[in-house]
Amino acid sequence: MKKSSIKLNGKSYWRSLNQLADTPEFRAFLEQEFPEEASDLPAQMNRRKFLTLMGASMAMAGLVSCRRPVEKIIPYVKAPEEIIPGVPKRYATTMPFGTDAYGLVVETHEGRPTKIEGNTKHPATLGSSDIFMQAAILGLYDPDRSQKVREKGTEKEWADFVVFWQKLYPEMISRQGAGLAFLTTSSASPSFYRQQLGLQKKLPGSKWFTWEPVSSENVRNGISAVTGEQLNPTFDVAKAKIILTIDSDLFLSEPGHLSHARGFAAGRRVQSEKDDMNRLYAVESAFTVTGGMADHRKALPSNQMHRFVFQLIKVLKGYAVNLDGIDIPPEETKIDQKWIQALANDLVANRGKSLIVAGSHLPAEVHALTSILNHSLGNTGNTISYHKPRYENFDRAEDIKNLVEEINGDKIETLVMIGGNPVYNAPADLNFKEVLQKVPHTVHLNEYFDETSGSAEWHIPQTHFLEEWGDTQASDGTLGVIQPMIAPLFGGKSPLELIHFLAAGTQSTGYELVRETWRSILPVTNFEQNWRRVLHDGLFADSQLVKQNPKFDFRAVNRMPASETVSSDNTLEVVFRPSPAVYDGRFANNGWLQELPDGISKLVWDNAALMSPSTAKRFGVKNEDVVVLEKHGRSLALPVWIVPGFAENSVTVYLGYGRTAAGRIGNGVGFNAYKLRTSAEGGYSQGMSLRKTIETYTLTSTQDHGSMEGRPIVREATLDAYRKNPRFAREMVEHPPLESLWEEHSYDEGYQWGMTIDLNACTGCNACTIACQSENNIPIVGKEQVRNGREMHWLRMDRYFKGDMEDPEMVFQPVACQHCENAPCEQVCPVAATVHDSEGLNVMTYNRCIGTRYCSNNCPYKVRRFNFFNYTNQLPEIVKMAQNPDVTVRSRGVMEKCTYCVQRISEAKISARKENRTLKDGEVISACQQACPTDAIVFGNINDPASRVTQMKRIDRSYELLAELNIQPRTSYLARLRNPNPDLEQS
Amino acid sequence: MAQIFPKWSNRIPPILAGALIVVLIGVVGFFWYYGSPQYTDAGYRPEQPVPYSHKLHAGDLGMDCRYCHSSVELSAKANVPPTQTCMNCHTLILTESDKLLPVRESWTTGKPIEWVRVHKIADYAYFDHSAHLNAGVGCTSCHGNVAEMEKVMQVEPLSMGWCLDCHRNPDMHLRPAGEITNMKWTPPADQLDIAAKIKKEKNIAPPVDCSGCHR
Repeated sequence: MKKSSIKLNGKSYWRSLNQLADTPEFRAFLEQEFPEEASDLPAQMNRRKFLTLMGASMAMAGLVSCRRPVEKIIPYVKAPEEIIPGVPKRYATTMPFGTDAYGLVVETHEGRPTKIEGNTKHPATLGSSDIFMQAAILGLYDPDRSQKVREKGTEKEWADFVVFWQKLYPEMISRQGAGLAFLTTSSASPSFYRQQLGLQKKLPGSKWFTWEPVSSENVRNGISAVTGEQLNPTFDVAKAKIILTIDSDLFLSEPGHLSHARGFAAGRRVQSEKDDMNRLYAVESAFTVTGGMADHRKALPSNQMHRFVFQLIKVLKGYAVNLDGIDIPPEETKIDQKWIQALANDLVANRGKSLIVAGSHLPAEVHALTSILNHSLGNTGNTISYHKPRYENFDRAEDIKNLVEEINGDKIETLVMIGGNPVYNAPADLNFKEVLQKVPHTVHLNEYFDETSGSAEWHIPQTHFLEEWGDTQASDGTLGVIQPMIAPLFGGKSPLELIHFLAAGTQSTGYELVRETWRSILPVTNFEQNWRRVLHDGLFADSQLVKQNPKFDFRAVNRMPASETVSSDNTLEVVFRPSPAVYDGRFANNGWLQELPDGISKLVWDNAALMSPSTAKRFGVKNEDVVVLEKHGRSLALPVWIVPGFAENSVTVYLGYGRTAAGRIGNGVGFNAYKLRTSAEGGYSQGMSLRKTIETYTLTSTQDHGSMEGRPIVREATLDAYRKNPRFAREMVEHPPLESLWEEHSYDEGYQWGMTIDLNACTGCNACTIACQSENNIPIVGKEQVRNGREMHWLRMDRYFKGDMEDPEMVFQPVACQHCENAPCEQVCPVAATVHDSEGLNVMTYNRCIGTRYCSNNCPYKVRRFNFFNYTNQLPEIVKMAQNPDVTVRSRGVMEKCTYCVQRISEAKISARKENRTLKDGEVISACQQACPTDAIVFGNINDPASRVTQMKRIDRSYELLAELNIQPRTSYLARLRNPNPDLEQS
Repeated sequence: MAQIFPKWSNRIPPILAGALIVVLIGVVGFFWYYGSPQYTDAGYRPEQPVPYSHKLHAGDLGMDCRYCHSSVELSAKANVPPTQTCMNCHTLILTESDKLLPVRESWTTGKPIEWVRVHKIADYAYFDHSAHLNAGVGCTSCHGNVAEMEKVMQVEPLSMGWCLDCHRNPDMHLRPAGEITNMKWTPPADQLDIAAKIKKEKNIAPPVDCSGCHR
């Protein structure tokens, strides 16, 4: 190698001005644009000499700027022992979500969390994640988070609040808390629970109310009505061979969806013709991802679900299933008897191995009936188990009504709201905003200065769960600790710290409060060791709750309030569902979630009135027409979006939009469905009228068609057809033998990376999309740019409909760069910015790219994303903290695409190299693979005959997308199989 | 018809063309050299907030590079030492020195010293120190004889071409593990044999694909 040498001593040609800068004269000379003596001519100076000097100095001054800008290195003052700069550290924690919790492992770089993964040991996640977990990292670094305590909107300090409370406190103690009320959200936290009990003891006059806009209360009430006990159900979907979901989005929106999806996929992993599959029946009013996975699906309005359940009970009684004592009303749904018979056949043939789940928003009566059904079919203790509650703080719809009553009766002097946003999401008939004004003192603890904080007297910034100490309980009872990844960015108090201060008048840290709770949870001996073990694992091993064996009283269901169906041709039922993107509105300021295309409608940045084509035709509306939904004087104007497969006269509106104080991302996005939601009709509202207006509203959908245009992109067959012809997937496209024009590379040495995606397991939950966005610093572009087709997601979820418009089937397919061996994109890049590496990756070199976009033009999958604008240089500093330092942040004019997580591959290869060994299978996990709850994505070394990905590629259902173009993609798909009931087989 | 242009103007186009070619070559050559990292980066010797002398510490006192740059074998990044490392000795040695005033201030106030970065490659290229040290590349191969530097200077251009020159033919730069921090090491007579042995033992295959450094 040529080694260019520089003589450090003696004469050498100066390379850069800084070398000269060593001598003081030149340094002084160069630092000035005009040399000092230039203004007055020296004695021997004449014009020519002056100009020469000037010219030279000007030239050199010009070249001064040819050097790069000064960059600083800032080391520690006292380096923490465990941090090696450049090596990320991973810590376990948990994420509270209502009365559930997710176990997480968070990757931190020099004390700054950048990526969230699931904790492989925690039962709720088992290593996978969902979109809320992945996007939570962006919520931590949100610049719109509240940074200051406020009193009536003016910024104050925590010390001011302390003064305020300490003034009220003595009187409160003397009155034993009368007039003090708390309004919180639901939780399952041992420490919070202990504080609640403590507060009740210290201030017995105080009252506690809990409100959640999206609630599982009906489930609990249904179960308690027929068992007489307070019980929580958990499902073991893997054990079920027949699953019936009744208006339940089991795999996405319902609590516990991660483990449900995982269990479901476990029953559908067909490796060969010998394997069996479970069967899913779905009856739902909207199209959900669960319905998309179903082998049989019927659309039925939510208000008729109870009739369907009664119909099923009637049929099952004919099979001598013990369902005596239940009064069955005569009304029936339009679901044909044949279908119900076939379903009943299956359920009866699989006693103890079936599962019936109803959606949380359905009335308690339906939940009572389904738990009875599960019990009669022998599922209790097998696929469905019941646990006694332990540390839960459950929400009750009655609570907020009672609170409003108490306030109206002037019984509440001080209202403390911990989290939540009742001014935004409380039932519309309660007029919570006006009611709140009647309370003399109000305090709101929240991460944002939101709608409720705007109406409260005091606002206190809340810590994000990644910055606080706390503890959680998962739905199966597993206890975990929340440990902070970073000190609170904006000050802020955790709920535990605030309640402690309010109750005791003195301050304590979350750390101390949590440890105190755990002294009674962990064994007395070796507390410190056990405590550290819990922090290390992210959970307390073997802390799950014991299964209960409840006794069912079937007749109790007859005493429950009967559900009603109001059917009419002119009115609609409006179903309120939590948004799959922003949930109940709490994530409205999260750009990743707002830009995530909804799984079914593919809408971004908005919600709409989703309805079926026939409903739209009946009311004479088309896409983007603004309609007004009205009932009893409450109305909401919003646009229409037509989705095949919705039930007749049933409109779904997602909650969580139309916020006014969410932050720069969430404000004004979408339409506030809470305006229509009353306390009597929280799940669905009947008798809504729809009025057309002349206005339209532009909605942006990333895929408004559902057609594969005649190409077999998603290949599927029934299980029987597969058994008869296992290689059906590859044979769907006929093509001549594929020959290449040029000599092909033989990729038979070293690591060769490849991926398979099992379409039988993919539920379309989009966790992979958000995980990829988090790992690879993918920007958001806004609604207008998405409308131009410029969304930046490297991994997109395609969704296709099949069959009848009113009763279609749906399939999902995640598509990212296929890393073709004969990549069409590589052949047309004029500057060789995208080339193939020796391990099979199609590599993108951002600095070479000049932005011709020819590669994207040539890509048959259209997976290349172009940075049309500079989406990253305007990001607030704090949002930049969420970026992964191991991945380049792209500027304007550069093409980007999935890299098979090359940064993870490099990291793993270097570690293995340092240990002088080869990589083992499973050491390199791509971000999408890690997030997927159903293990649909498998990535690995296809040159290794023992690796999982090689086994998956050998499965006969495997096919490549557009393989007939001879581009030889490294990603292959496993064709989707449906398992229809032979009695219901359609031709 | 009358001649507009005098005869000598016939010579203008070819002279202009020739001049243009020369100018173009000049401009291209100008940027080829003056725009290259060899010119813009090699020789960079910025002023540091503390007049720390590697010549004194690493050269005369013989301190090993890794005493301060401790993460270089473990991580992609070679760290600049925290103030604590300096104070390990300087709480006892030269405690009144003016030159060490910024260090003592940093130690007492808790504000870190803002060193000026000397060796830097582009943000889109990712370099891993530990991989190179593990392979047997010595510090001086890229950083020059730092133990002779009063003020750290970048001696190599650290351009992609320069990196690839070694990646494509690393033999002259592979050392046995013990020689990595040896500032005075030069390749011995049988370097090619030694390198061949090291390459075989450690399975050295420096990446020449784009994905080796560009993520």
